Amino acid sequence: MSDTIDYDIRSSRHPVRSWIVTMLLFLLLQAAAVALVGFTALFLSITPGWSAEGPLAPLTKPADARSGALLFKSDAGYAEAPRLGIDVDIVVSGPTARARVTQLFKNTSSQWMEAVYVYPLPTDSAVDTLKMIVGDRIVVGDIKPRQQAKVIYEQAKREGKTAALTEQERPNIFTNSLANIGPGETVLVQIEYQQPVAQVAGEFSLLVPLVVAPRYNPKPIVQSVDLRPGSDGWGAASNDPVPDRDRISPEVLDPAKDAPVNPTRITVRLQAGFVVGEVKSHHHQVTIDSPDAKTRVVTLAEGVVPADRDFELTWKPASEKMPSVGLFHEQVGDADYLLAFVTPPAVATTTQRPQPRDVIFVIDNSGSMGGTSIRQAKASLIYALGRLQPGDRFNVIRFDDTMTVLFPSSVPADAEHVGSATSYVSSLDARGGTEMVPAMRAALTDDGSDSDRVRQVVFLTDGAIGNEQQLFETITAMRGRSRIFMVGIGSAPNTYLMSRAAELGRGAFTHIGSVEQVEERMRDLFAKLENPVVTGLTATFSEASADLTPAVLPDVYRNEPLVLAAKIDRLAGSLQLKGRIGDQPWTITLPLSGAAEGKGLSKLWARRKIGDAEVAKTMRQMTPEEADGAILKLALEHQLVTRLTSLVAVDKTPRRPDGEPLRLAELPINLPAGWDFEKVFGERARMPAAQKERRAEADGDVQLAALKRPVVPTAPATITLPKTATDAELSMLLGLGLLLLELIWLVALRRRAAN
Amino acid sequence: MPRIIIPLAVALVGLILFSHGALIHAKAIVAQVLLDRAFSQTIATGRPVKPWSWADTVPVARIEVKRLGVSTIALAGSSGQALAFGAGHVEGTAEPGEAGVAVYSAHRDTHFRFLKDVSIGDEIDVVGRDGRTFRYRADGTSVVRFDASGIDPGTERPELVLSTCWPFDALTQGPERYVLHATLIADQ
Repeated sequence: MSDTIDYDIRSSRHPVRSWIVTMLLFLLLQAAAVALVGFTALFLSITPGWSAEGPLAPLTKPADARSGALLFKSDAGYAEAPRLGIDVDIVVSGPTARARVTQLFKNTSSQWMEAVYVYPLPTDSAVDTLKMIVGDRIVVGDIKPRQQAKVIYEQAKREGKTAALTEQERPNIFTNSLANIGPGETVLVQIEYQQPVAQVAGEFSLLVPLVVAPRYNPKPIVQSVDLRPGSDGWGAASNDPVPDRDRISPEVLDPAKDAPVNPTRITVRLQAGFVVGEVKSHHHQVTIDSPDAKTRVVTLAEGVVPADRDFELTWKPASEKMPSVGLFHEQVGDADYLLAFVTPPAVATTTQRPQPRDVIFVIDNSGSMGGTSIRQAKASLIYALGRLQPGDRFNVIRFDDTMTVLFPSSVPADAEHVGSATSYVSSLDARGGTEMVPAMRAALTDDGSDSDRVRQVVFLTDGAIGNEQQLFETITAMRGRSRIFMVGIGSAPNTYLMSRAAELGRGAFTHIGSVEQVEERMRDLFAKLENPVVTGLTATFSEASADLTPAVLPDVYRNEPLVLAAKIDRLAGSLQLKGRIGDQPWTITLPLSGAAEGKGLSKLWARRKIGDAEVAKTMRQMTPEEADGAILKLALEHQLVTRLTSLVAVDKTPRRPDGEPLRLAELPINLPAGWDFEKVFGERARMPAAQKERRAEADGDVQLAALKRPVVPTAPATITLPKTATDAELSMLLGLGLLLLELIWLVALRRRAAN
Repeated sequence: MPRIIIPLAVALVGLILFSHGALIHAKAIVAQVLLDRAFSQTIATGRPVKPWSWADTVPVARIEVKRLGVSTIALAGSSGQALAFGAGHVEGTAEPGEAGVAVYSAHRDTHFRFLKDVSIGDEIDVVGRDGRTFRYRADGTSVVRFDASGIDPGTERPELVLSTCWPFDALTQGPERYVLHATLIADQ
């Protein structure tokens, strides 16, 4: 019986039964294999082969991150800052520019607001007008000593009157405070300033800074003691290198999380006074109209731009040659104010080789230089290293909150040293704080050997520090025979620091705003470094008695004009300039009767006198009291905003009802273009945070809650959800499908074989 | 010979595909057993315990929905590796019970398959690694894009979000995520 069965199974006389058995065995084996493979692989492979879990997708764009369909909590608890719009209207009339900056504060909340906005202006701007427009009323501001202006403003604020206050924090940083903006209301604040047009390397240029770059403020560790003669040995120790750090540190928005703020419109009416050639905007797209040959109207091509980088406009005369002399005057009362530009002739380098030089390059690789700035700085420095001559010697210093001096002392600029310096510079990375003073100290430390050589310090930085005064004092104390050439890097460098440091260091200031400008601007800088300087300059007026600024004329470098401002009693006779270009004497005489009419020259003269007083104070040529007295007198006479004077405007009518609270909103600013938020952010986290609560001691009826933002600094603005689908189902279905297909196939084959 | 080779090759491909899918599920099921054991040890010892010696992540929470009788162990991190074995606690989000939102993600076809059955009002228990249980109540669901979850990481309230891929029965992956939101009601 059993034989028969065995036979039956194996014989081909029962094909169907035998086939079913084969298939069953096959499937059983398959299942066993699946289980075996599956469980072996479970403990052997941690990474599932082709399953769908991949790396997390990054945030796409900030707009998307904010538009989630799921919102758990209403943000009604947060006050919304007033919106700010900026309109800059500049008229260039020959040698000067008159700018009107209108800031539009729109309170979109349902509360009464006080808005505080920190903004930059050109370093040499003379701010003289403040207007506040509330509804159809225009209130014109008055210049007052700073404390007095503050008291007037605070009182108006308490009384519910709309008031505006313009204060100077640095010569290039100003603060506008605007109290009592009603719910849903728009208030305009308008300031006006006068500014000289700069001449740089054969071009006229106008710089409009639009954003205050975040500053590194060193911790108050080092005490500086000021002992003055007559103080009998008792002096005051100032603890903090940046006592006003809270006033120059507005909140900076992270471009990855927030859309840019502070839309800005810019219009420049250029009346050059000569037939205009090329007009170029270096960092913005512009539209240029030409009503006539001597006039251009420049507007932004995009209409409005976020306030996140400097606006730089340059123009050239149509004729090949730049005018080498410009003389302008303005009569105010019984005095005449004179502004003179004289570009000394470019004397070809004499037959002997230029004097050998010691060049100390200093490069800032702090976090604020992150992004495009460090690339510009490295490219500039590598270009400079390539320009060194065989007889030169050099050294390289890099600094953040630490410092490295590359060679123990200056080394000859031979191929080997230049090569190793170049590869060192190429490897630099931007991070950390900005301790600039020790680096300047190291650069100015002069061993005194070979005193016949020219010693030049080339300092590349964005100048994003708050302790400018400490740096100036270091330069004054240690400059010796060294000359300091500042190279300003990035989209919003601190031009006040650059120009003042170059002035104190008897060098020059070059601004590099983009990678494209590196070569051109560095070539100009090397023209200054390599060519003879115009020295020993004196100015004499033949008939008029004059109050001249600068009082001591600086040395003038190649392609730079000497700019003089003077207050004279009468416009008669001539002005004679004498000096030496290299070894040759040079004289030029300007007849004053030929001076053309200029605008706002008295303000420019006063502004420069004020700058002179600040320099004299730094150099200990004037006591602080003398300097302050001189500044206050000039400022009140010429109606200028300075360190000691402010403009204040108060609307007479009280508007905020009693009992209505007033909220303070410190308006946030953009991160300068090209900056790396993370690098600055990490650095800021380590700084003592004294900000934010600065007005916490509020007076009775004024609720001054600093604007609270619903953003946790460390967490992302939104949470990216991981991929949470596997292809298990898909694989299994496909696999089963294939097995089924195969089954059908086998059946078909068997059938055919059977037949 | 091709008569045998072609069906054999097709069978092999089918076998590989099927076993790949089966493997994912097998890993998910087996790993949970090991993870559950490791998590109990974590609570008992107070120290993170690796579920198997070469694991690169540790269990951090147990998520339970009593009404549905489901329980799953969540791992630290939401990398693909972690999600193969259990739910993942998304990096940078709050711990259970803390102020802020705790976000857990898992695959729609394995550990968070039950999410489609959770309805508003259901209680979700989350046991943290210290053994404390936090009870949340589901109060909202939504479908969002992965990069626009709308989850506010700055919230001050203790909240819970469980997320998985959407739609549940799709065969391929997509950008949409199903988000179940819950708020803390009690902690024991």
